[in-house]
Amino acid sequence: MNWPQLLITVATIGSIFGVVTLALNLQYARGGMINFGIVAYFAVGAYTYAIITQPPPKGLDQYAFGLDWPWWAGFLLAGVAALGFAALTGWPTLRLRGEYLALTTFAFAEVFHSFLLNERRIGNGTVGLSNVHRPFGDWGPVEEKYVFAGAAALLLIATLAAFRQLLASPYGRALDAIRDDEVAAQSSGKPSADMRRQVFLISAVPVGLAGAVYAMFTTLAQPSLFTAEVTFVVWIALVLGGERSVYGAMLGAFGLVFFEEVVRALPFETVRSAQIAASVEHIITGVLFIAVLRYQPFDRIQRKVRAST
Amino acid sequence: MTGRDHTRVSTQLGPLLEVNGVSKRFAGIQALGGDDGLSFQIDRGSFVGLIGPNGAGKSTLFNLLTGVLPADAGTIVFEGNDITADSSHQRAEHGIGRTFQTPRTFESLTVLDNVVVGATSPGERLRAALGRKWRLHEAGLVERARDILGQVGLADRASEPVGDLSGGELRMLGVARQLIRRPSLLLLDEPTAGVHPLLQDRLADLLTGLHRQGMTLVVVEHNLHFLLAIAEHILVLTQGRLLAEGPPSHIRGDPAVISAYLGEDHAA
Repeated sequence: MNWPQLLITVATIGSIFGVVTLALNLQYARGGMINFGIVAYFAVGAYTYAIITQPPPKGLDQYAFGLDWPWWAGFLLAGVAALGFAALTGWPTLRLRGEYLALTTFAFAEVFHSFLLNERRIGNGTVGLSNVHRPFGDWGPVEEKYVFAGAAALLLIATLAAFRQLLASPYGRALDAIRDDEVAAQSSGKPSADMRRQVFLISAVPVGLAGAVYAMFTTLAQPSLFTAEVTFVVWIALVLGGERSVYGAMLGAFGLVFFEEVVRALPFETVRSAQIAASVEHIITGVLFIAVLRYQPFDRIQRKVRAST
Repeated sequence: MTGRDHTRVSTQLGPLLEVNGVSKRFAGIQALGGDDGLSFQIDRGSFVGLIGPNGAGKSTLFNLLTGVLPADAGTIVFEGNDITADSSHQRAEHGIGRTFQTPRTFESLTVLDNVVVGATSPGERLRAALGRKWRLHEAGLVERARDILGQVGLADRASEPVGDLSGGELRMLGVARQLIRRPSLLLLDEPTAGVHPLLQDRLADLLTGLHRQGMTLVVVEHNLHFLLAIAEHILVLTQGRLLAEGPPSHIRGDPAVISAYLGEDHAA
């Protein structure tokens, strides 16, 4: 097993999914919103980056839009597009609570996935947009893969810093109050609907940016990369790491990506053994998920820490 | 209610709250207001007790006044402005504070933060939260919250999780969270239920003090001994209608009120 390569892949993909998990942490653990369609905002970021930076269509290309703008424009507009998509989807859905919101966001993501599959002019249908512009080459003696891992980590750190600042402020305290008891929070002058909407919108921005980095990394924006499985992987990462803290969310993302990459990198003698390993990977992920839900190790640790202080 | 206690200057300043023809139905059953709805006034600076048997509509009235529930009909005017269509948080911003019949708390926050969060901090605005200026106000808010916790007997519980408080202490915490807002109208829903007698005395002193400072208070209470001793005007609700109103001395001997509470035999 090529450990250095594996670790650098984990650092890159882990950082990208860490950003999405942080956004989910903000939406769910602090904002009290269950978003089962977070993959859609991730996909919006990836496709926006691809469309902005790819060359105009030629020859047999079926897509209609390619602006050929620089990478940074694509990156920034990926965040803006995710924000716009959140505004569009948040407007009708955020009046809902709990499982109703979960189902509606899931439905939105499925509709968007179906749109990507079938609309060739925007995203080139099932084939998707390949040859996505990869902006970072080798940086002097530093190889491209390290530059990528650094860029993804930078996005994660920036997201973490912004969210921590926000949550440590009275804004975060008001959000906690709204999540704990919305009626009581409103009667203390907290505009709960406005604040929930704000959280939904601002948390979509880094998800869109992460989508752009993901498209750069894979050089691909394709519907098969943005299925509901992504949403559930991120949810599992959040639960595994402990939803109560931003660090837990990040650790969960890295842990899960590490586990998946290790299984993927295992050398197999036969196709059959590779198939079994893939199945076992899912089973172990599921068992871990159930074990964490059953024994709540992170909540216990937190209670112990609280009791000792 | 109209201000009839002419011994208080503050009650002569005119109505702070006007409730005009308000009614509410639940599943087709009239919960509040008769055919013409419920109408009354609360004068600025008055101390009003709101009493009535269980199911009379007292908490429903609070929910309508604070926007937790929308009224089916009628208007609510606060400080001269029609607030009928305003949301719950807007009414709180206008200066209407309230506690709940069942104490409502923010479980993830400490006792101190449960009070601090009652105030509207500049750092609750998104842009300000990402800056640092809100920190200037925070120290003052925390100091005020500690002072208020002292007033309600919870000074030494400030850093504890709110889940460690007893039912009575949670009620006091609910009062404290409203006091930090400095509301011009404070609605208290059964503030003494489950509260230790010593704390009840402290609460009575606190409410009397707030009243002296000019705060308008409306208190729903089943503990008539407590309420009739401190309120200056009583409203009696029964089956969603205003049965009687007047000073405590008048209400104590009103046969209709005694009948509503204890039955026809006692009223005779």
